[in-house]
Amino acid sequence: MPLDTSTYILAHLRLDGRRWNELRRLQAQMSTQAAADGSSYFEMGNTKIICTVAGPQEQKSGGGGRSQQDKAKIEVEVNFAGFSGMDRKKRARSDKRTSEMQHTIASAFESTLLTHLFPHSTITLNLHILSQDGSLLAACLNAATLALVDAGIPMTDYISATTVATTASYADKEEEADPLLDLNGLEEQELPFLTIASSGGEDRVCSLVLETKVHMARLEPMISVGLDGCSQIRGILDGVIRAHGRKVLEGKVG
Amino acid sequence: MAITVLPPAPAAPPPNPKPYHDDADSSPSDDEMDIDSLPTTKSRTNTTIITPGQTVTDDPQWMRGHGTTAAPDSSTIRSTLAGTLQKTNKLLSVVPLRARYTPEIGDLVIGRIVEVQARRWKVDVAAPLLANLLLSSINLPGGILRRRTSVDELNIRSFFGEGELLVAEVQGLFQDGSASLHTRSLKYGKLRNGQFMAVAGVGGGAGVVRARRQIFTLQARGGEVDVILGVNGYVWIEKKAEEAAKEKEEVGINRLEQSTSEAVYSSQNDEISEATRRDIARVAGVVRVLVEGSVKVDEENVRRGYEAGLELDEEEGVVDFLNGERGARICEMVLSGA
Repeated sequence: MPLDTSTYILAHLRLDGRRWNELRRLQAQMSTQAAADGSSYFEMGNTKIICTVAGPQEQKSGGGGRSQQDKAKIEVEVNFAGFSGMDRKKRARSDKRTSEMQHTIASAFESTLLTHLFPHSTITLNLHILSQDGSLLAACLNAATLALVDAGIPMTDYISATTVATTASYADKEEEADPLLDLNGLEEQELPFLTIASSGGEDRVCSLVLETKVHMARLEPMISVGLDGCSQIRGILDGVIRAHGRKVLEGKVG
Repeated sequence: MAITVLPPAPAAPPPNPKPYHDDADSSPSDDEMDIDSLPTTKSRTNTTIITPGQTVTDDPQWMRGHGTTAAPDSSTIRSTLAGTLQKTNKLLSVVPLRARYTPEIGDLVIGRIVEVQARRWKVDVAAPLLANLLLSSINLPGGILRRRTSVDELNIRSFFGEGELLVAEVQGLFQDGSASLHTRSLKYGKLRNGQFMAVAGVGGGAGVVRARRQIFTLQARGGEVDVILGVNGYVWIEKKAEEAAKEKEEVGINRLEQSTSEAVYSSQNDEISEATRRDIARVAGVVRVLVEGSVKVDEENVRRGYEAGLELDEEEGVVDFLNGERGARICEMVLSGA
């Protein structure tokens, strides 16, 4: 059912009317939950996520994390709301895909957060997915970045993430294959795609997830388009943080 | 009937029309100018926001402080936090917009006991790590100068048990940044007869600030109310402890000992009159409103806020919960008096 490839060739417009290198509408807010140490709300098209950060706080006693005493441990909990997907599906707590996502997010942030400043402590990220429409992992990483900045946890740079697909699954029509930026749910089901997360303006890749088969020659253009998308998203995140900061400083009196 | 196709409405402009690259290119030069013109004070006059990863300066004359990082082989100082730049002589640091409380020696904090160990208590002071309160750094019953004995060690729970609140001072810091507390003063010790609140501390944002006086007595309508503003953002509002005050006046080492033994480690609340309860609730409301309105919480503002609350109630003829518009009015009244 190649619904995208057939129509895409005609007008070079995707299902939702975007061109190949266009992002969906991004919206974000910071400090949405007053009780949390840091929090954010992030929308990437119809993918909507709330992230809260707790910590750094003392590790629960009896925890086996004796080996990581010299730096903070990052724990991630991803929670799918029952109404977030197309069908009401109950996910088991030990869902493999969820725990893989949690691990990917935790290891991505271990590379940018300055965890050595908080020994014997834990930073807990809680991600609540309210609505899913593609690029879920990328949206989680972006939401977590905003929440961690809000929590005032030092990091070397933001992590910004996006997804890239390639239009044709097979080796034919080599010249016509375009990389597509920031997929929605339908495109994600159809096309081979990867999730890429980069940190900082210098194109440092800190996470790359590719679960589908893709032609070797397509990979490089996909990665370069992905990095370009990441730096666009970085700019938007930066704008959100600056706007929030200005609002905080204006509101501060006395 | 003919169908007319309307042209699509123009899309809303993106929240940040300026791409990141322009910002990054222009900001280092701006910041270098900023650094030289920055006043060397703790005041927050500087309103330029710095975000993580942004280059603060390339100039090797500056030293990097909190909230900044530098690659080992370069003199480029980059920010690790979102906040404002602070200059102390040649030291550059970034003050975050909001962060958890980090203990400093001499801070007056309010804490809650979470764990009782062999010779110490673990105290939650809203910091990244739990604080330690050693058995040897509290006032033991039967005189300040008494030595700690093994009997005291066995009866450790008779001084502080889990979940109990106390006010203490940060005596020292450990290598990992956790605090060591002490309550070796009659001002400090167990808390009762009052209400606990957790608001933002000195980490950033609005909230309790470090001030000359953190413990003060408010002359309320229904009697005197003590307010303790812990710099970690924990606030305690209580009925003024009358006996202790009386005994302090009658200076005598015997009386002092007695007060240490009986009153200080009691977990039993006294009878509190309705008027006092109302006053405590009003002060709590004022503190909450101040935090919501991003007004700093200190003695001056709490006193003014309390008076403003009374005025407002008289004006409107009702005694009501402080929030929303009433809260905003209180903040206005507090600030106009400043």
